Amino acid sequence: MSGLKELVESTQQLAQAMKITLKAAIEPPLTVESPVEPIAVYPRFRGRHELRRYENGMERCIGCALCEAACPTGAIHVEAAENTEEERHSPGERYAKVYEVNLLRCILCRDCVRACPTEAIILGRNYALANYHRQDFILTKEDLLNPPEPNVIIRVKE
Amino acid sequence: MADMVKFTIDGKEVEAPAGELLVDAAKRIGINIPVFCSHPKLDPLGACRMCLVEVEGRRGRQLVTSCTTPVSEGLVVYYDSERARAARAGTLELLLINHPLDCPICDKGGECPLQDQAMEHGNGESHFVEEKHHKNKRYPISDWIMLDQERCVVCWRCIRYLDEWEDKPQLGLYHRGGETVIDIAPGHPLDAKTSGNIVEMCPVGALTSRVSRFSYRPWELSHTDSLCTHCALGCNVRVDTRLNQVKRLLARENPAVNDQWLCDKGRFAFGYMQHESRLTQPLLRKNGTLQPASWEEALDAVTAKLVEASKQPQRVAAIGSAKVSNEANYLLQKFFRQYVHSNNIDFRHGSDIATAGRGIPSIAEFEKADLFVLFGVDMAENIPVLDLFLKRAVNRRHAKVLLINSRRVEDSRYGTLLQPAPGEEVLLLNGLSAALLKDEAIAKRAGRLSGYKAWLADMVSEPTAKLNLSESDFGGAVAMLRRAQRPLFLYGEAVAGGKSGAANVTALTNLALLLGAVDRVGYLPYDANAQGARDMGVLPDRLPGQIVLSDASAVSRLQRQWGGTVPAEPGLTYLGMLQAAAQGELDFLYVMGSDPAAEGMSEALQKVGFLVVSDLFLTETAKLADVVLPAADYVESDGTFTNLERRVQRAPKAVRAPGRAAPDWLILTHLAQRWPVVEEIKDPKRKKRGHGRTPNIWSYASPQDVLQEIARVVPMYAGLTWDALGDAGQQWPAEALPLRPRLQSVTLPTLSRRSFTHWLIAERVLYDAGQLFATTEQGHNLIMAPAVHINSHDLATASLAVGQEIQVTSPHGSVRLPLLVDENVSPGTLFVPLGLAGAPAEQLLDGQYGPVPARIEAVA
Repeated sequence: MSGLKELVESTQQLAQAMKITLKAAIEPPLTVESPVEPIAVYPRFRGRHELRRYENGMERCIGCALCEAACPTGAIHVEAAENTEEERHSPGERYAKVYEVNLLRCILCRDCVRACPTEAIILGRNYALANYHRQDFILTKEDLLNPPEPNVIIRVKE
Repeated sequence: MADMVKFTIDGKEVEAPAGELLVDAAKRIGINIPVFCSHPKLDPLGACRMCLVEVEGRRGRQLVTSCTTPVSEGLVVYYDSERARAARAGTLELLLINHPLDCPICDKGGECPLQDQAMEHGNGESHFVEEKHHKNKRYPISDWIMLDQERCVVCWRCIRYLDEWEDKPQLGLYHRGGETVIDIAPGHPLDAKTSGNIVEMCPVGALTSRVSRFSYRPWELSHTDSLCTHCALGCNVRVDTRLNQVKRLLARENPAVNDQWLCDKGRFAFGYMQHESRLTQPLLRKNGTLQPASWEEALDAVTAKLVEASKQPQRVAAIGSAKVSNEANYLLQKFFRQYVHSNNIDFRHGSDIATAGRGIPSIAEFEKADLFVLFGVDMAENIPVLDLFLKRAVNRRHAKVLLINSRRVEDSRYGTLLQPAPGEEVLLLNGLSAALLKDEAIAKRAGRLSGYKAWLADMVSEPTAKLNLSESDFGGAVAMLRRAQRPLFLYGEAVAGGKSGAANVTALTNLALLLGAVDRVGYLPYDANAQGARDMGVLPDRLPGQIVLSDASAVSRLQRQWGGTVPAEPGLTYLGMLQAAAQGELDFLYVMGSDPAAEGMSEALQKVGFLVVSDLFLTETAKLADVVLPAADYVESDGTFTNLERRVQRAPKAVRAPGRAAPDWLILTHLAQRWPVVEEIKDPKRKKRGHGRTPNIWSYASPQDVLQEIARVVPMYAGLTWDALGDAGQQWPAEALPLRPRLQSVTLPTLSRRSFTHWLIAERVLYDAGQLFATTEQGHNLIMAPAVHINSHDLATASLAVGQEIQVTSPHGSVRLPLLVDENVSPGTLFVPLGLAGAPAEQLLDGQYGPVPARIEAVA
């Protein structure tokens, strides 16, 4: 009798296991093909720096270098210059001629964002920061003003 | 010593000299009362009301401004009382009503007293929500300075500085109440030569420098205590650098030298330090053109040629520079005396100038002298900061000024100007001496020299008629001299050089001797290290310490210290070298930091066998050179400079030299180490024969090592090591170079205009087209345009029109220049400033010292 009971139980267990296996076989895979496919990040996740513009296209950054002063790792380098009528970058008298962020130094602490009086620098959602050469880790003003569309999706609250 | 009084502040008993201002007395016991308008160098005013404190008075406790209240016995002051604190917070709130609070883009932000005091004394919030007043924000008031009227707190510091020190009230207050602004008179930008000081004094960001506008934030700068090397005063500066670049220069306080001032050239003209045209690598002439080379190649080429040329040392010469450090100049003359055995060593304005070699007695003398005799000196144009002290002496102490100058200069407004025609200066000075001798006391002083008196009386009869001077001016000048208790005689390069230089200086010295003031005769050189180059022995007839070649004991002492022998015959002077070069008599010429080709000497230099130039730029001379060595500027290497009052001061390294440029001391050390004598000494076969006869090997590791040797070799520099100099420098006493003054007969210089109609006068101006100034872009508008200045009287006689291009001809050359009417130029003379674009004056002088005969004619 016991032999029959064992057979039934083991068949049940096998069916249970196969159910999971079969279910997983038809479900889409969990592995994400990063960086080709986007990763879902939380809404408060912050990554690579960006410099913002006003709606009329003017740069928000005025080159005041307060971000540079606030940076605990010395990752930011700013050189300011004066706007002229022919060459206007920002609304006031002053703009940043050079703005560089060294991502090898940056610890993404967000102090620069807090120091900025014009909310020009923000941390975006781009987390794909790997690169092949050391010099490629230095973001120039050009890189910062024209950030690539980050390949992320934001998680919706569950 | 003033009487001391006792008063209390917040219950603390304080002792202070009577009459001291409350704000200063409080500062000494550590209470820093906030101020905006009060400044230690300006008269008290009480405009900003920031320094309010409570004082116990007859009508109870009342608020007073502590910057205008002198302390008195028994005064009871409350600084930290509730009412005083509220008053200061209220004042601050009022000052900030219309302040734009654009600190992030303000150059003052980070070192701004308004920011600091708002943090310390302000409420943090404003009651005012209304729209702020809008005024001019980006308003240039000169080529150097930008005004932002919105940021101004109307403290008047700038207005008062220009009024009290510069004596040029070019800024004023306009409108009233909240609309009050500081402004210039319409269409009249600031042209005061020391206007930059108001940028430094401004307690907010209202006045900012246009040169370093937006190029730094104060907190990111590194500071180096250094010097300015634009003129011979040696103003102390702080060099502020960021990432190996000089960003700005600030005045550094040194009461013995520049007080706390700096002229605009010193403050703003630093563009040359990092200019793109700086030399960054050695150049070697190959196949007729200068091509980049390695240091090895360049130095080997120089050594090879020099070793060969040194077989005839009289055909080898070196030109030093009054613009480079003591160390470089010392090594230059040591190298050429010790290794090459040539005394052909000089610098521009070196031995061709007649001077006792002691500069001026002291800058502090400007605070004591009651008569300034300015002979051929244009201080406002050439040494603006020293001119401030002259103005101060005249305006505050009622000192008198007597000017002897063929041209009306800016300082002429402070005294009597005697305008002798060129060549007649000696006659005028002798005339003054003769007039003074009529005074019995003065005649007694000259008593034993009856021969001199007779000669003088014989020579000058009726000087006023001969000199075409008004009797009253001449009489006034004589009275001025007779009354003077403490006269100061100053003469410049304009009268101390050339054919009449020695006679001019002797005649002036005679005058000073009659007044018993021979130790208060001073020579005002132009260049930063003119005194130091003299002290270092960059002269054909003087060894380091200005020792004459005939002083046997000093020479043997030097030979013991250096090893080897020092040549005994005096060498060629600067002009002598260039003449020799023109004759093709120079096989080798080493030029350090000097540009004789820009003075119309390029033809002569082309005939030099081998020309080596070390300089910052590819100068006219460097373009002719066989080897060009890129030199480091003074901020790129440690060095010392000796200013016009013999004060030795340090200029430490602040930034790295560009590319492979190297300091002169290092270049010379490397040259010395390549000299064949080194192998000779290392040769084991060399016996102990005459050890002293072989020159020592050089082993300097740093400029400090060189300075240490200077302190050993140069008697008046004894003990002046790098550490001993400190931040304020040290003055060597004038007595270390004793004078043996006596009244001397002077031969009248024979200057003749020959067939020419005018005398050409050429003097230096502050804003010239030289590389040290013209490389600063912001100053381009200020550079004097090339023109010949002429009196309107002469213009009428010559029947020429203003602005017309005319031909100016001297015995040495001829140039075309536009005409400019200038009433400061006396009739019969033409004025062409030195150092202008195209070097017109230099072409007309051709290396001679002025004045030279000239004529003008219309261009056909």
